[in-house]
Amino acid sequence: MVEKEIDYVKMLQEKTGWGVENVPYPEGVALIEARWDLCIGCGYCEMACSMFHFGVINRELSRIRIFRYLLPAPKSFQNVCCQCDEKERECEKACPLDPPVIHYDKEKFHMVVDVDRCLGYKCGQCLKACPAKVPRFYPPEHNYALVCDLCEKDGVRRPQCVEVCPSFALEFMKPQFPQHLQRIHPDEKAKWMAERLIPLNPHKAQITPEELFGGDK
Amino acid sequence: METKYQMLEINLTTGEKKIVDITEEMRLFTGGRGLGAKLLWDRVPPGTDPLSPANILWFGVGPITGFMGSVTNVSAMSPLTLNRGQSNMNGHFGIELIYAGYNGGLLLTGKAEKPVYIYIKDDTVEIRDASHLWGRFNPDNQETLREEIKKDLDDQNFRIATIGPAGENLVRNASIDHDLYHHAARLGMGAVMGSKNVKAIAVKGSKQPSYHDHDFLYRTLLKWIKEGLDEKVGRRRWGHSVSMPERYYATTEGIKNKQLGWDPICDLSNPLKLEQGAKLWSDACNLCHVGCKVPYMRRIPPYAPTTGEIRHDNAGGWNANVMIPGYDVQTYVSTYVDTLGLDSEDVSGVVAWMMECYDRGTITKEDLGGIELTWGNVEAICRILKKIAFREGIGDKLAEGLKLAPALIPQAGKQYAMTSKGVAITSYEPRGSMSDAVGLAVNPVGELHGGRGTPERIMFDSLTTCSFLRRNIPMVFGSIGNWARRMLKGAAGWDLSEEDWQNQLLRASFMERCLCIREGYVPERDDVLPERFFKETIYNKYGEPKILSWDKFLETRKKTYLSFGLTEQGIPPRQKLQELGMDFVIPTLEEKLGTLK
Repeated sequence: MVEKEIDYVKMLQEKTGWGVENVPYPEGVALIEARWDLCIGCGYCEMACSMFHFGVINRELSRIRIFRYLLPAPKSFQNVCCQCDEKERECEKACPLDPPVIHYDKEKFHMVVDVDRCLGYKCGQCLKACPAKVPRFYPPEHNYALVCDLCEKDGVRRPQCVEVCPSFALEFMKPQFPQHLQRIHPDEKAKWMAERLIPLNPHKAQITPEELFGGDK
Repeated sequence: METKYQMLEINLTTGEKKIVDITEEMRLFTGGRGLGAKLLWDRVPPGTDPLSPANILWFGVGPITGFMGSVTNVSAMSPLTLNRGQSNMNGHFGIELIYAGYNGGLLLTGKAEKPVYIYIKDDTVEIRDASHLWGRFNPDNQETLREEIKKDLDDQNFRIATIGPAGENLVRNASIDHDLYHHAARLGMGAVMGSKNVKAIAVKGSKQPSYHDHDFLYRTLLKWIKEGLDEKVGRRRWGHSVSMPERYYATTEGIKNKQLGWDPICDLSNPLKLEQGAKLWSDACNLCHVGCKVPYMRRIPPYAPTTGEIRHDNAGGWNANVMIPGYDVQTYVSTYVDTLGLDSEDVSGVVAWMMECYDRGTITKEDLGGIELTWGNVEAICRILKKIAFREGIGDKLAEGLKLAPALIPQAGKQYAMTSKGVAITSYEPRGSMSDAVGLAVNPVGELHGGRGTPERIMFDSLTTCSFLRRNIPMVFGSIGNWARRMLKGAAGWDLSEEDWQNQLLRASFMERCLCIREGYVPERDDVLPERFFKETIYNKYGEPKILSWDKFLETRKKTYLSFGLTEQGIPPRQKLQELGMDFVIPTLEEKLGTLK
């Protein structure tokens, strides 16, 4: 058997990408893991997502969203579905319809929404139930829950956000620990990240000159 | 179908809001800086006091705002130079206006009765009371407003632009601040916002942007991020602090208010030390893979704890130009300037001027209200900055900026003020490079980060996109023109030929120049630099002398004018104006300058 040789020199010369696309994608259960320490908040993931699913540039139609905070240094965090384990799937449990409109497809290994049956923004039970507030709605045109489907098309999964991210801040991988532990609301992420800046807080970018030098001049 | 452009116009005096179709104007003047000049020409009468309600404040966006950085170009008559004013603010503000449906920008006219902030959420536009925000520093005002609005909106992805105390007190070089590290700082845009009693603008959009061809745009952008990696390498890692050491060694960076060509203090500005000791993370503007905003956090006293960021506008000004020893100390001062809401670059020039005057004895400790303003004295710098921001004591005069202040403090010495058209020259040392020197001089609006006066740079500000990427773009797309035409085709649906593109460049740059001429700018008279650069020799680290030759300066300036498509006198030629469809400026120009060639 002759193994297929990869021409690394050619790959380097052609600058085909950032390198992420050369990491083999997982089979079976997998998720998009957000490395928020690396996120620079450019929003390419949002653009790639809306282009793949709707063919337009519109971050409001994206299933991954960037939240920006001032901690007081500006920091961005991604918010994306982590395809929770069965017992932790709050959105599925919360759906008022039977069978649930939002559910996990065990063959495709990602969440699915039955677009035609979804009650839309006014119901919003899945959004309320999700601790990370991941499901999104875009009424009136796309009034159903938008959740990550790992860009699955005919059984092939190529998450566009992962492939486009210029800072390796998104990884498509097998779960390394219980998935729902990644299910963190961006507000919470910001709170954790802000611990790096203690004793400063979002209202205070530095110790004031008055505190340093005294006097009220 | 070509994209339609809508501008949101808010009359603060009456509270009236309307949507104006500016598709025609966008097509001619592209948007941003170019269209800003046209709006000022149309809507502000000649000789208007910039701080009066008759002035306008335009948050300008362009056809490709939000791709490669979301630049908002803020236009108004400048209180600092009393001429055309404009300033760029990157970040995420402009794209939010586009998502809100105002892809022709936001225009503020008149003056609010009391402090207000403007709340824009798609079609909801409200002028709300801001008395609780008035007097607050950055970023406290932004965070307070963010917490307040978060109660209304289920997510907090809206963007805020604010002014600090300096803007409220109409300090003539006050800035508009967005997300702490993005500022429309130059030429006193914050003072204009303050004069309109607008403390903040909060925008959130959720509509579908009306681009012409999404797929084409997406392909162009993918090509860009996969191939345009060069800028990412350095800037992502160090931010703008990376350019400083190189500039000190090239003698293109001012030292001790331009009195020296080298000082050992320069070697303390080491990006590596800053990165390894204090870097937090990298942060980017909208759809830009470079991520050149690099926040730092220093914990080691003195002057800590502080967060800070070394940007191109504060990097040189608050460094060896005021003899601050290195980035470690500079992060503190830079952030203090940001919290006050001052233009880092301009106010550092004012302080450097005062320092030299104090050094020479023309200004005394009593004049400064008891401040010992010696070189590199951080405490004194902070105290004088606060005086300027709150207009206390001598700060009241210094707050007038380098065009008006030297006349108010005549004993200090006008010759020590390093300025071009009233804008401080801080981060640049013209003696190191003739092209830099001419670049500083020929910008009709005043010194704005070196070569900001070329038609190409004006077009970057008009499109609007980040001109930092201009070195990288030709490597990917062949030329700036190729790239821009492609982007415009995708975003706006304009099919431009190479010649159309050149005309587009000239139209935006001529419009700005004509407006400046209307307000009293005479190119040959005003495009000069302070005498110091032609009379005092400085020496670089290796003892090589650096000085500008006046004759060579004039010669290069003339060549530069011609390369801009102007006459040798720096005036737009009549025939070209007519070709570009700008006949309406000719009578005004002839009234000011005599018959046009």
